[in-house]
Order: sequence, then C-alpha cells, then structure tokens
Amino acid sequence: MRLVRDLGRRKLRSTLTITGIMIGIMALVVFGSMANKIDALVKGGSEYYKDKVTVSAKGGTMGLGGVLSTRMVDQIETLDGVDVALASTMMMVSDDASAVSMGIPPMIVGSIAGSDKGRETFKLNYASGRALTPQDEGSNVVVLGSDLSKQLKAKVGGTVTLRGETFQVVGILEPTLTAPDNEAAVPLAAAQQLLIKTLPALIADKLNVNEIATGLVVYPKPGVDPQKVADEIKAAIAGVTPMTGKDFDKQIGAATSVLSAILIGIGLISLLVGGLSVINTMAMSVAERTREIGIKRAIGASRWRIRREIVIESAVIGLIGGLLGLTLGFLITALGNDAGRDSGTILFDLTFGTALSSVTFATILGAVAGFIPAWHASRLDPVAALRYE
Amino acid sequence: MAILEGRNLRKTYRLSRRNTVEALKGVEISIEKGEMVAIMGPSGSGKSTLMHILGLLHAPDPNHGPAPELRLAGEDVAALSDNARTKIRARRMGFVFQDFNLVPTLTALENVTLACDYAGIGGKLGRQAGLEALALVGLEDRANHKPSELSGGEQQRVAIARALVNKPEIILADEPTGNLDSDRSAEVLALLRQFNREHGQTVVLVTHDSEVGEACDRVIRMRDGRIRDYGQRAAATAAAPVIAVPAVAVPA
Ligand SMILES: Nc1ncnc2c1ncn2[C@@H]1O[C@H](COP(=O)(O)OP(=O)(O)OP(=O)(O)O)[C@@H](O)[C@H]1O
Ligand SMILES: [Mg+2]
Repeated sequence: MRLVRDLGRRKLRSTLTITGIMIGIMALVVFGSMANKIDALVKGGSEYYKDKVTVSAKGGTMGLGGVLSTRMVDQIETLDGVDVALASTMMMVSDDASAVSMGIPPMIVGSIAGSDKGRETFKLNYASGRALTPQDEGSNVVVLGSDLSKQLKAKVGGTVTLRGETFQVVGILEPTLTAPDNEAAVPLAAAQQLLIKTLPALIADKLNVNEIATGLVVYPKPGVDPQKVADEIKAAIAGVTPMTGKDFDKQIGAATSVLSAILIGIGLISLLVGGLSVINTMAMSVAERTREIGIKRAIGASRWRIRREIVIESAVIGLIGGLLGLTLGFLITALGNDAGRDSGTILFDLTFGTALSSVTFATILGAVAGFIPAWHASRLDPVAALRYE
Repeated sequence: MAILEGRNLRKTYRLSRRNTVEALKGVEISIEKGEMVAIMGPSGSGKSTLMHILGLLHAPDPNHGPAPELRLAGEDVAALSDNARTKIRARRMGFVFQDFNLVPTLTALENVTLACDYAGIGGKLGRQAGLEALALVGLEDRANHKPSELSGGEQQRVAIARALVNKPEIILADEPTGNLDSDRSAEVLALLRQFNREHGQTVVLVTHDSEVGEACDRVIRMRDGRIRDYGQRAAATAAAPVIAVPAVAVPA
C-alpha cells in the first residue's frame, strides 16, 4: 500500500515510465506472437517433411513448380530405398498476389486419399465432417483447413468456389497452426482439372490431364535415410529436384529464424529504452528522497533494507507496465487476427508462454534497472543525506 | 556506570586537498547511565559532530594521534561495520532531530512503527507499540495524520515517540527544541525529562537554550572542537530517584 502511495506521489513521472515499459512489452508481445506464428508454421513443416522426400520439377520446391507426370510414381517405387510414392497437385487458391501478404498463401492440394498407404504420420483432426476417401475421386468435394474455412465462411454441407469451380465442403479441420490451416484438400482428379486450366494452351494440349502433378511424395522404407532416397531419385530421374526434411529446415528454418530474431530484437530494443527510463525515474526518485533515506538510515534501516525498498518499487513499475503492455498487445493481436481472417492471413499466435515471459521480463527489467539507483541510495552517508535540501 | 565513553575522538572534514576543517580535536567524554545531559556551545564548536559519533552515524577518525575509543555499555563500538552500527542504532538508540525529520508520505503511526520494523518488531506487535508510544506523547488521536497535517510541536512529539518506541538505552537529540516556541519546547523537554525519570533512559541533547540546559542534570560545554567544561551534576536532580528499569530493546 505504502508503495502504491509512493508511486502516486510522483504520478506524472511514474506514468511516463510505465508507459515506456508498456510500449516495449506491447511490441515484444506483438512481435513475439508473430514470431510464434512463424515458428509454429516452420515447426509444422519440419515435422511434416522430416520422414519423406518431396519431389518437384527442377527449380521448384515443396511439391510446387513445373508439371511432372504421375507415371514417375511407378518409376520411383522401383527404387531401392523407396516404400511408397504418391502424386500430388498443388496450386494457390488465388493468383491475386495482394492476398498473400504474409505466411503461406491459401493452397489447393490434390491427392488420392489413402495413396500414402498409411505411411503419413502427420495427424489431422476434423472439427466437423469427414476425411476424403478414394471414392471421392471424380467428384468435386473439399476438406478445408481451419483458417481457410473461416475466410471462405464455409460450413460442412455448403459449397465453396475454388478457381471458378464449385466444390462441396465435406470436412473442416481443427487448427494445426501450420500449413494445413490454409489448405483446401481435394481429390487428385479435381486438382488436375484445375491445374490444366492454369497452363498455357500450347503446353496443356500436349499433356494428359490424368497424368499431371506438381509434386511427388516419397516415403522411404523404414530405417532408410531420406537423403539416400533423394540421391537415388536424382540419379534415376532427370529434371526433378528432391527435397528432404533437412533441406526444408535449411532453406526455411534459417530464413525464418532470422526473421524471428529481427522481430524479437525490435521488441527488446524498445524494452531497453523502457529500462533506461526506469533507471532515470528511480534515480530521480532517489535524489528526491535523499533526506528520507537519511532519516531511515539514521533510525536503523540497513543498507539492504534501503536497496530492497527501491528495487521492489521499480519492479512494481515494471510489473504494472508489463501487465498493461500485455493487455495492449493482446488487443492488437486479437484485432489483427480478426481483420486478417478475411484475407486468410493469421499473423499472430499469442501463447501463454509469450504472455508470461513478457510480464516476467518487464518485472525483472524493472528490478534490474532499479538496482543502480538502489545501490547509490544505500551508499549515501546518513548524516549528509539528512542535511540534503 | 558509564553507558557511553569516548576518548581521543577526532573528526576532520576534508573539503579539498588543502582545505580541511578540524571539527573535533580529541574529545574525551563519559555519560552515566540514566543521566540527562545537555551539550552547549557556540555554533560550529562540534556539538553535532560529536552527537553523530556518539550515535554511531559516523566513525571517529582512526588514524591521527592516539587511537580513538568508544564504548557503549562497556562494549567497544569504535570500529564496527556499517551493519553492526546500524543494528545498534535501530535497537539501542533513539534519535530526535531539530527539524523533526519525519517521512512525509507516512502517517504519524507509520513513522513510529518504521522504527519498530527496523528493530525487528513487525506486524501487530509493532503497531501496538507504535500506538502506545503515540499515547505516551499525547498524540493517539493523530495516529493517522500525515506530518504535513501536524503542527511543529506535534511533529516533534511524533519524532520523540519514534525515538522511544523501542525503549532504547540512549536518546540522542540534536537541538530538539530549536524550531519550537518556548511553550512547545517546554512540552518536548518535559517529555524527555519524564522518560528519563520514569524509565531511566539516558538522554543526551544539544541545545542553544540555557533554560533547556538548566533543566538537565549536567551541561557539557564545547568550544572549538574540544570540551571546555564537563559540568557538575546538580545535587537536586542527582538525588531524584532514577528508577532503573532495565532497557529492553525487544519487548517480549
Ligand atoms: N559535512 C561537513 N563538511 C565539512 N565541514 C563540516 C561538515 N559538517 C560540519 N562541518 C564543520 O565542522 C565544524 C563543526 O560542525 P558542527 O555541525 O559539529 O557544529 P555545531 O556545534 O553542531 O554547530 P551548530 O550549533 O551551528 O549546529 C563546523 O566548522 C562545520 O563547518
Ligand atoms: Mg549542530
């Protein structure tokens, strides 16, 4: 109580300092949430790609790029280390680049249900409806990811339009925090029909629509290093680029961890400024209270008591600033995600860990910043401090 | 028995390399337990400096001339650590200053219990002791007032309550009546006298007021950093019964 009254006594300065910390923590929460989202995306991707080799046309990556032939599936399955291979056809839901501001753009992914022969380990849970089945081949049905379903305002039993074609929604996934959230899973044949329309007529005329794909997913035999399989594929088939989980981590993980570091760095710099402001506030408050400190020392307050008093006070400044910053950051990320839902871009993932560590960090920052003025205060000569005007 | 004994007490303030002030030039002093002593002397004669040393706020200069000695109830306190001196100040001494020196943001009661807190008596016990001390100085109804809501005389009585609350062995007061009119000074002096009589608390006070000096058992006179006159214990006051209540730092 005393402490709150002490803070109240220096209302304006405390308010400014708390505002400084608040802005820093807000930045940390917002950028941290953004980094969380990116991390979750990357982690999900890393998890998905870890046990397989993804084959794209030369120059492409992650099953996207030029057109491949589904006949390669049989060719690859004859290779030594290969257990199962399947064809997939991917394309963006919309070619409109403005919709792709951040993260992964919404994708259409076509493959024959069950063609992984039970090898896929990445678990998907259904919020409503059902999974695709091999019997769906030939019909226009779709399973939507959580974010994409919200963007399209789709419900199971309703329909959505994808690249001009009408699809019946049969299932909606629970959030995975990674790629499937923004995907529309369709039967392979339907995806092939959509893909052929995107190709220039000259090329399309020469292709058999039932044999086109953009990527091949290859599951190595148990115990076989995916890298060995990738090397085999490269040697056996011309014009393709195989990618392993390690390649994914190298390409994507490195880029995004730099991005995350930059985002968190911005937050930390704003906090550093907040921390300096706490030092300033507490140093001035110590100077202002020199006489009071002299009185307390004279009547028997130990140096330790004086230090504790000041450190606790500045930790409370940090805590209040941290809580306010978290509240503000929470509002910004919630509003940002709401606004982004329509364009399919969920930018923020404010986790409990981020919230807790930001507030803890603000409190510790306050305490540490208070330590310098506290040390100074505790070293004052009581007699000189008593005389201080 | 002497409760405070000092010998070879010196203090030189160093303003710059060339400019030093010898505030105490080798003082020898002995104060009996239960005595109420006034220290008088012209401005700048070293009274406050001596009080700071007796109150363990400053240490005597250690290294010119014969080594300083300072004993509190027989125990050598000349070269204690800051922590040890702080502990003695908290538990065994009470301070009263000329300009009251209350913490402005705290109420009268909180100012008093602060001293209990530093002496290791917290919570309810401290609060109770604080209220009792305020009652002793006649301010129980001002317990929740801030210093700014009290008159000078009342503030000084709160300061006395703060000095007394731990029942210290010694009360050191540097010009406690310096900022008060003669009626208020008389009140403050009467309070100190009362505690000295009733509880045998030793009181050392600095004053410029010869009436205050006369009300004490003995007047020590200083001039130019030295004690010129140790004074005589007045026969009448010496004969007054000093109830030797053992000084208890921590009430059970
Ligand atoms: N912190 C200090 N720095 C330098 N000189 C000091 C300091 N404190 C006291 N002095 C000097 O030491 C001498 C004694 O000072 P002291 O305060 O003990 O005098 P005093 O007897 O209490 O005077 P007064 O009656 O005016 O309070 C004075 O000459 C004073 O100027
Ligand atoms: Mg003085």
